[in-house]
Amino acid sequence: MTCNDCLEHVAGLAYGKLDERTAADVRVHLAACAACSRQFETLGLTLEALERLPSAPPSHRMRARLMGDIEAEKLDLQGRAGWAASIRSSAERRPASWLAPLLQAIAACALLAVGFLAGERTAGERAATERRLADLGAKVDTMGMLVEQSVLQKRDTVDRLQAVLTVGSSKRPDERVINGLINSLAFDSSVNVRLNALNALYGHAGQEVVRAGVLACLPREPNPLVQVSMIDFLVAAKAHDAAPELRKLAEDAKADTDVRESARRAMDLL
Amino acid sequence: MPLPDHDLMLAVRDGDLDCMGELFERHHGPLYGYLSKLTGNRAAAQDLCQTVFQRMLKYRHTYRDEGNFAAWMYHLARRCASDHFRRASSAPAPMDPTDLEAHADDAVGADEAAASKDDHALLHRALGRLDRADREVLLLSRLQELSFAEVAGILECSVGAARVRAHRALHSLRDHYFKLQKDPLT
Ligand SMILES: [Zn+2]
Repeated sequence: MTCNDCLEHVAGLAYGKLDERTAADVRVHLAACAACSRQFETLGLTLEALERLPSAPPSHRMRARLMGDIEAEKLDLQGRAGWAASIRSSAERRPASWLAPLLQAIAACALLAVGFLAGERTAGERAATERRLADLGAKVDTMGMLVEQSVLQKRDTVDRLQAVLTVGSSKRPDERVINGLINSLAFDSSVNVRLNALNALYGHAGQEVVRAGVLACLPREPNPLVQVSMIDFLVAAKAHDAAPELRKLAEDAKADTDVRESARRAMDLL
Repeated sequence: MPLPDHDLMLAVRDGDLDCMGELFERHHGPLYGYLSKLTGNRAAAQDLCQTVFQRMLKYRHTYRDEGNFAAWMYHLARRCASDHFRRASSAPAPMDPTDLEAHADDAVGADEAAASKDDHALLHRALGRLDRADREVLLLSRLQELSFAEVAGILECSVGAARVRAHRALHSLRDHYFKLQKDPLT
């Protein structure tokens, strides 16, 4: 190997990118040639210095955001795969509970930004909502129509989830917030969002409007997992007026067996 | 034995999105290091790194059975970085290539101002004196997980061209670096 041949490969050797045969040939030349050897050494020193160059660690926000992205994609996948898959995966792991602290940190202002609770502003409208919830069975037949009625449906699932989680973390949510959560529970197409809305409502189970709202949602709920969670909620809230609805579910041959079992147990407890 | 990156990415592609978390743990550090050296801007590197992982999720279906994860990741990184440089160059105050030298990395910027003799700062300055294409080929070529053929694939040029450019870039960095070491005021 001549010096010219060697110099052609010396950077490749420093990068560690030569095939073994060429690398061996270059090394033989380097051992015998001080000039080429000096070239190799200085290139190597430069790369080593580059290796040692510190770069500040990336912020933890990056991880949190990526986890949020992954969760959003999952929700999206579930949405596309339909209810069956959604129920399965929700049942497999407690949805998004690990995500809550992360999202709360990221989306501190999500509630405002998303404009999530665009709903009822006056007492009249609130009453209308309650009537609407109570009359759902009569007015609406399909989940598709429910979905169309919902203003929340216009948002991305992850936005709604963020909003619900943010609301859930709020210490003293006002009535508008509570109505928003009930709306989510009633109308949202995402199981994750509905479950998290229900979780957020636990802190307000003492309020009549909350118990009535959950009770109104129960017969409309298509997902057994959410239904069972609603039944647990009604028991925890000591909603004695839930008995007729629970009996109907317990005796409904078409209902999921877990749901029927939960309803029976709840009737005993209440 | 931990699963190879390639298997994890295939799992992500096939719907097991949680595997992306593991890929993130393995690669975000080096990728961020690459991007911060390439852009000379920590905040930009952070955003770009985030975007690369977002795009991996979004474009997971394009990952191929015979793919190489690192090559694919740096390919996406290159796209993101060139978007960044395009935006930066259309902004009122051009950021590149002197940005690297002027601002260095925030992490060492203070050192650089205080003591230009500091070796890290000198290397940062030397890196800033390369043009962006040279910096790019050099930073990719030093990655052990990429062959010259893969670097060529990322840069969309021939293997020969990648090898020659990598060679030239390393010589050029060394010359700047050694010159600055001798005389930091140049
Ligand atoms: Zn020689």
